[in-house]
Amino acid sequence: MFDVMFAALGALVTNPQTMGLMLIAVMIGLIVGATPGIGGRLSIALAIPFVFGMDMTQGAVFLLTMHAVNGTSGQISSIMFGVPGDGDDAATTIDGYPMAKKGEAGRALGASITASGVGGIIGAIVFAVMIPVLEPIVLAFSPAEFFLLAILGITFIAFLAGGNNIFKGMIVGLFGMMLATIGMDPQTGTARYAGDYLFLWDGVSLVTCVLALFAVPEMITLAVKGGSIAAISMDGVKFSYKQIFQGVMEVPRHWFLALRTSVIGALIGMVPGLGGSAAAWLCYGHAVQSSKTPERFGRGAVEGVIAPETASNAKEGGSLLPTLFFGIPGSSGMAVMMGAFLILGIQPGPAMITKHLDLVWTLIWALVVGNLIAVSFLLFITRWVAVLTFINATMLVPFIVVLVVIGAYVNEGQWENLLILLGMSIIGYAMLRANWPRAPFVIGLVLGRIAEESLHKALDLWGLSFFTRPISMVLIGMIVATIGFAIYRSRKPNVLDNMQVSA
Amino acid sequence: MKNAWKIFAASLAACAATQAQAADEGAAFFKEKTVTYIVATAPGGGYDSYGRLVAEYMQRNLPGSTFVVKNMPGAGHIIGANAVYASKADGLTLGTFNTGLIYNQIVGAQGVKFDLSKMSWIGKAASDPRVIVVASQSPIKSFADLQAQKTPVNFATAGPGSASYVETVILTNTLKLPVKNLTGYNGTDDQLAMRRGEVVGSIASRSSYSTFIENGYGRYIAQIGGNDKDVPQLSSLVKDQKALDLIALVQSQGDIARLTAGPPGVPADRVKALIEAYKKAMEDKELQARAEKLEKPVEPAYGEDVAKAIVKALNQSDDTKQLLAEALKSDKK
Repeated sequence: MFDVMFAALGALVTNPQTMGLMLIAVMIGLIVGATPGIGGRLSIALAIPFVFGMDMTQGAVFLLTMHAVNGTSGQISSIMFGVPGDGDDAATTIDGYPMAKKGEAGRALGASITASGVGGIIGAIVFAVMIPVLEPIVLAFSPAEFFLLAILGITFIAFLAGGNNIFKGMIVGLFGMMLATIGMDPQTGTARYAGDYLFLWDGVSLVTCVLALFAVPEMITLAVKGGSIAAISMDGVKFSYKQIFQGVMEVPRHWFLALRTSVIGALIGMVPGLGGSAAAWLCYGHAVQSSKTPERFGRGAVEGVIAPETASNAKEGGSLLPTLFFGIPGSSGMAVMMGAFLILGIQPGPAMITKHLDLVWTLIWALVVGNLIAVSFLLFITRWVAVLTFINATMLVPFIVVLVVIGAYVNEGQWENLLILLGMSIIGYAMLRANWPRAPFVIGLVLGRIAEESLHKALDLWGLSFFTRPISMVLIGMIVATIGFAIYRSRKPNVLDNMQVSA
Repeated sequence: MKNAWKIFAASLAACAATQAQAADEGAAFFKEKTVTYIVATAPGGGYDSYGRLVAEYMQRNLPGSTFVVKNMPGAGHIIGANAVYASKADGLTLGTFNTGLIYNQIVGAQGVKFDLSKMSWIGKAASDPRVIVVASQSPIKSFADLQAQKTPVNFATAGPGSASYVETVILTNTLKLPVKNLTGYNGTDDQLAMRRGEVVGSIASRSSYSTFIENGYGRYIAQIGGNDKDVPQLSSLVKDQKALDLIALVQSQGDIARLTAGPPGVPADRVKALIEAYKKAMEDKELQARAEKLEKPVEPAYGEDVAKAIVKALNQSDDTKQLLAEALKSDKK
């Protein structure tokens, strides 16, 4: 076992051609990740023609690295401009952008980039550790558990809204869940609230909503107010590697949170069906709910940056597991990846362990090394990137608005999404002005759909008795505890400082 | 099919000279022009890989042209098909979408703004036979075992209105299989559900299950279409004529998979040139090797042949239309 493991690492890092390919893959992955609206799935689909004829190992390493570092760069625009690249990055925006406004973009980026890397590496470790117990764990999660996990995530809304805003949070969360019902009913095939508008049949575009709710309102505010994103002058900040390094050190300071959210992220990635955005949001919710001072969140708490970033990178290691060993992809990106593996002559399935163990280890190491390269590179350039937050609004805002519009269009290629962008932006700006929480909306939209679909399936399969499945009971216990704690906290806000609950 | 070939060959021979000239004129039109190739799904997946392959090799065989792939996902391929249908009939827009849209057109389903019988058919790249699969842990070993089940067993299917849902519902209803269809298993959810044991089987395309079967997680118990010898043809297992008609309809869907079409009314010489380029692409050894690696071998047909098969599939008896309408009807079974 160990000889194969280290032989694979040795072969990976001593082969200059493979390392060269990895460098290229990391660069492409980072660029694609930093561009709003273009997902990792597209980059793999476009790269497939280039891996024809590549050696099996090199081709697989190239594609995997490219995919794995995708989430690492998406946070840059989320933190700096409040423009999330996709659904998972939106969670980083909530605390990352306020940090940038305080002139702490360097610290936020340092923390989030390091968190991504740590998440990616822990994800790879979870991958390695989980191989023997993969089957029972993955098969234990059925629609019944998905439903309850989604409900658990939705209850986190109570904490996201902040102590006094609990009703506002619930209203916004329900609004998100309401919009989640738009589209083809998964059970009956009726188009709901969509009529003949075909672009609505698959539901409201998450990326468009996220851009409208988070990016546009901030840009309007900035344009109205003038000045730059960072509310303080550049002279006031010693803008250097020192601030970035402070950010990097935030991760070891919150090591236990980073560990937990990485493991949760990897586990969610491992179980196909919950989707990538769910991992980042569940972990963000977990960070708020387990914090001693939840009221800091949304105003620039560094934990709010660390949690979603570790989760979204850790899930890549997780979602590779069912793809490689069952031949059943853990995410849509992995589905494309599996097609590419077949082209390279890799036949995913249980035989991977016996026939291709060296390749499996190479891929695990590729996750680790790829994440390390991406993190070092990004930390190196961050110093110059963060300066952008000090640029005057009149120069910055037009660029970002163009970026937002392109992001909303490119994602699904439908112009109607621009109308949604406009409409939702107005709502988003109103919410910002009235100081309503916006995060619960995304949770409602992401998890509402999962909850509805899996509830239908679970009821079809087991009727109401699905509540009595063993994991269901545990999850119900956690939901009840979360709600109980939320009520307790809203009644006695002061006691909170001395309390900590981890679910 | 054989007759169609004969007619096609005869007509080709009859006016080979004029055709060749027409195709040349048509091909000249595409010099320094950009052809948009619409794929009715998101990037990744079978339609996208085939679409990109076809576009790449058509470009090589249509000198001076540039092919650009545009993904237009949504509404179960209807958005993409509508877009191809509504595009300008100049031969500069082509596309690919699910053959199963035939079902939607037959019953006049919501959202359909195309008439497949009028489109300019370029060709099809593959056949995708359908199979009935059951999980390996199930005691059901054959189609007869499935028929003999006393209590209904669970089958997984994608969302209502999707082609795979329609096929599953019409087949299980007409064959009176003791099957309860559970909807909403999209992508590879059905395979995972079979592994978990919450469903016993599924009716799906063979290519989507090849890895699953190779890994020993399930077995085929019947197949519709294709030449594979490892599993009996469903048509050999049933006697009822109505059922056989429906099986034939499903088979015709499988036979014309991965199609390429343009809007109605594209000038004939340009269609000729496009078919010519498509044919050369399909005969390219490199394209065949690449499709082979995707476990999706090339079994092409061209122009008129595809058009005829589509018209034939659209032309169904009232009984069949009724069955399809019921399957596509929004309320749940």
